[in-house]
Amino acid sequence: MSVTRAATLDDALARIAAGARPVAGGTAFRLDAAAGKPVPADLVDIGALLPKGIAKNRIGAGTDLETLRWESVPLLSAAAADVAAPNIRRLATLGGTIGWRAGCLLPALLALDAQVGTTHGPRPLADWLARPEGLVLSVTVLPLARQIWRKTGLRAGFCPSIIAAAGSFSMEDGRITAVRLAVGGGAVAPARLPETEGWLLGRPLATLDRAALGARIEAEIAAPDCAFRSARYRRRVAANALVAGLVGLAPLRRPARPRPAPAPLPDLTELSRTAGEDRWHMREDMPAKVRGTLAYMTDVRAEGMLVGRILRAAHPHAEILAIDTTAAETLPGVRAVVTHRDVPGLNAFGILLQDQPALCADRVRYLGDAVAAVAAIDAETAERALSLIRVDYRPLPLVEDMEAALAPGAPALHAAGNLVTEVGLSRGDLAAGFAGAAHVVEDTYVTPRQMHGFMETEGGWAAPEGEGVIVCAGGQHGARDRMQLARILALPEDRIRVVTSPTGGAFGGKDELTVQPALALLALKARVPVRLHLSRAESVLAGTKRNPFVIRMRTGCDAEGRLVAQEVEALADSGAYASLSPGVLETAMEHAAGPYRVENIRTHGRLAYTNNGTGGAFRGFGANQMSYAIECQIDRLAALCGLDPVEIRRRNLRRAGEPGFLGQKVAPTEKLSEMLDVAAASTLWAPAAVRADEVTGTGIALNYQGNGLGTIPTDEARFEIRLEGGRIRVFTGLDEIGQGMVASVHAAVAERLHCARADIEVIFGDTGTAPDSGSTTASRGGYVVWRGVEETAPALAEKILVQASLRLGLPADRLRIVPGGVQAEGGNHSPTLAFSALAPERAETFFAFPKSDYRAGNARFIFAYGVTLARVAISRVSGAVRVLDLEIHTAAGKVIDMASYLGQMEGGLVQGLGFTLTEDMPMTGGRPLARNFDSYLMPTVRDVPERMRATAHEPLDPADPFGPRGVGELGIGAVTPAIANAVADALGAWPATAPFPPETLLAMLEAAR
Amino acid sequence: MSPPLAFTLNGAPATIDAEETLLDALRERLGATEVKAGCAIGRCGACTVLLDGAAVNACLLSGWQVAGRAITTIAGLAALPVGETLAAAMEEENAFQCGYCAPGMMMSLAGLLAARPLPDDARIAEALEGNLCRCTGYHSILRGARTARDRLKDLP
Repeated sequence: MSVTRAATLDDALARIAAGARPVAGGTAFRLDAAAGKPVPADLVDIGALLPKGIAKNRIGAGTDLETLRWESVPLLSAAAADVAAPNIRRLATLGGTIGWRAGCLLPALLALDAQVGTTHGPRPLADWLARPEGLVLSVTVLPLARQIWRKTGLRAGFCPSIIAAAGSFSMEDGRITAVRLAVGGGAVAPARLPETEGWLLGRPLATLDRAALGARIEAEIAAPDCAFRSARYRRRVAANALVAGLVGLAPLRRPARPRPAPAPLPDLTELSRTAGEDRWHMREDMPAKVRGTLAYMTDVRAEGMLVGRILRAAHPHAEILAIDTTAAETLPGVRAVVTHRDVPGLNAFGILLQDQPALCADRVRYLGDAVAAVAAIDAETAERALSLIRVDYRPLPLVEDMEAALAPGAPALHAAGNLVTEVGLSRGDLAAGFAGAAHVVEDTYVTPRQMHGFMETEGGWAAPEGEGVIVCAGGQHGARDRMQLARILALPEDRIRVVTSPTGGAFGGKDELTVQPALALLALKARVPVRLHLSRAESVLAGTKRNPFVIRMRTGCDAEGRLVAQEVEALADSGAYASLSPGVLETAMEHAAGPYRVENIRTHGRLAYTNNGTGGAFRGFGANQMSYAIECQIDRLAALCGLDPVEIRRRNLRRAGEPGFLGQKVAPTEKLSEMLDVAAASTLWAPAAVRADEVTGTGIALNYQGNGLGTIPTDEARFEIRLEGGRIRVFTGLDEIGQGMVASVHAAVAERLHCARADIEVIFGDTGTAPDSGSTTASRGGYVVWRGVEETAPALAEKILVQASLRLGLPADRLRIVPGGVQAEGGNHSPTLAFSALAPERAETFFAFPKSDYRAGNARFIFAYGVTLARVAISRVSGAVRVLDLEIHTAAGKVIDMASYLGQMEGGLVQGLGFTLTEDMPMTGGRPLARNFDSYLMPTVRDVPERMRATAHEPLDPADPFGPRGVGELGIGAVTPAIANAVADALGAWPATAPFPPETLLAMLEAAR
Repeated sequence: MSPPLAFTLNGAPATIDAEETLLDALRERLGATEVKAGCAIGRCGACTVLLDGAAVNACLLSGWQVAGRAITTIAGLAALPVGETLAAAMEEENAFQCGYCAPGMMMSLAGLLAARPLPDDARIAEALEGNLCRCTGYHSILRGARTARDRLKDLP
């Protein structure tokens, strides 16, 4: 690519005639490049030559879209607000968007009958778009009296249009005297709707038949299908938008559903800075994060450090016939090329089953499979070397569908077949239960392949160290990563040091090994440090995803709403490898009845290998998928019984002291009833004020989430605390993945020891310096921190006081620890003896995570409880759901660090909102439709609720010795069913596929009419 | 290949090739890894920097667009008139979790808060529309930004 700046317009035109592409802000060609279109070889920069500024309705083509957005050009400024995001609008120009001949401003310009001034003279925009000759220098718009604008995308914030509809019209004596309607945006070609315009002219608005008008508009719109939305949906949405803009929508009657009766409120702690007062502390990691001084492991640079790249599979399922790296190895600047031939140990990894190759030898099973890796002096050389590696493949039949994967004769991904695991339970008499049911509901719930979407993709660096290697890459259990690397590298564990923190988000997606094998192999072969940071596109392709589930659930209750029977059939997609997917399925099945008693129940779950990426751990770990189904089922039964959603849940709740779902012994403290009390009192049951074209509803859902790995896996923790160098130093192998683990250590130690948070330093996430505290997963971190501190801080305090007692010649019982040191009784604020004046002391512990007695399968013993309420507005134009409010009330014992706890709630809620409304990664031919954040749609700031609220009911049962529960997964657990139930409150029907297809919601709206 | 183009990086002279993206230049060559790479296609805002004071995505800018101009990254935040007020408010509110989006979020806000009149709540949210955060659900970031805005209002 070359860029030259044109000195004059004539100069620019000459270069364009010679094949150069004009560029102003430069954003459009980058969007094209991101979408896989070819990058032009020659660009000519004309930005400085285009007139800027707005004079009445004449706009210079060089005017940037952010300026336009804050002007008051009728229709166009409103439309500009829906283009991209401010930081991009600042670069993009009006002339550029016209020259690009795509984007959602074009229908607005067409409805404004825009005229363009060009180097070839003035022309109507519509003509110029059909025959673009000359450079556009200015745009004049001709608005009529009233404007219509509606962009519908895949989410509310920054995304391409599914369709944009624009209109401009005038009225006189109630009749339409002039009208221009246009559609466009995204895949829709920009076009006016002349036939509808002609039909509307002269008609009285008051008596206009909305259905007839809508049908005319739909018939006139040419719109394509795409992988995300149908052509029919596009036409319908545009028609609805234009009808709503011209005449408004017909009134809609809302079904009135019973509301819960308020109950007395239990003790609640409001989680916020203002309500928290002295319980609110600044997390110790904030200054470095806010000021950008925290170096992540993907930020490490050093003289001589090489850049690594990984060659991924060229086919989603193929046999590897040969790998030839000769050309890559001889490329100047390449220092190491590794393939399966360089793996000295076991060429396989996986937390549960070692079925995933470090570097594929004879077969690839998904497009993210690593086949080779290169280390070179810079990224460009490494990438060129990848392109020189020749891999001969013989494609194998694809396994794309999980049901087909398990059918007889399906091509097998692994030697033992495609059934990874199967879990089931049968209790009571199912047939008799259903026979006695007054109401039975059944549906099939489908959940998405959600991407973790951590902002820092997988990456880090590795270097030879002594006779071994140091590997620094974001992770969630350094000791286990080390064990897996030891197997691959055939090195003793003590020659491998693994650093896993800090990392820019994980959510389960960095629990399994990611880039560590390739990094370690490259560093050991090159004998120098190597860094490697996956591009987002590579992370989308290769990274672990949430397992999609299909859950058929049939549930019956008696006339009073008591559950009498339930049958659950679940099928989950493991993708190409197992990782932790068997655990995910097991956890889902453990939640098959939700927190309810059902005497007659049968569950059956299967997990299938396919060529659809690879699945594994993700916050919620199957529980949230299953909660979606059960919490919608119970809401449907409530409607059939005429009960409010709180009352039906009350009638079915587990009782304190009862065994768990699998019959296992569980810890005391059941707080579901208290959660329902809080939910009943919520202000969200009142209808929200919504826009004229929206309907509103409120829903709730309960959840409970087990803590820890369960009965079967080893689940232990070491924890150490020292006084040294005047600091209270805490050593734990847990990771800081953003959740506030370190802040929680500070909070727990400061409280137990009575020192200041500032006295504390935490050494974590590094097998070279910290002990193995187990994984930072499964909502276990909060408990491990609490118990670790509980078992070490008193011993350390005693040692400190004994030492101080000797030094001061005072009895230990007249001394106490205060911020900064030890104080003698009756002393003032400052310590009598500073920590720095004391000799080192230490205390350590080793404990097993509390477990159930159940060994027939994996079962949890301690749980946290929550209830989520959602209040939504559903667009009658597009079927899009706008979540107005989310509230979560929780019971997980004492809040250790308020800011961290609140962060887990708010973040979990919004990650669940994404799962519910916009996030999915459909696969076709083993390839994800999503490439990057342009086609994988996580919530933006515009997609999140207007209001969120989180509370904690902190007391545990008096006989409960287990302390605070972890809450990392609680927030995400019940969002989806709460939103689904809110949708049903408004529409009378439950969406059973997540993310909820707006097209389905539109159909429900039409049925509700 | 054309000669490198000069620009200023947090007040210091730096060079960039015409065709190189600013993000690559910063992270791969100039050691400015405080600027984060999240998507490289303008969809996440992790690489947001100020271009002559206005927040833009470094991954969408090439050398030819940067020549002769002033780039401010999060490393230059403290030198901005609003920098300390903004940083302190975000710290108190515990605005971030993993922090990887923070350098971009902070620069979007730094650009916004330098403008007068000070933004209302809706404009604060809009200014962050191109910045993705996966940890927080955004509310803590918005709370911190509103606190900063309110404090700037109270300043003489």
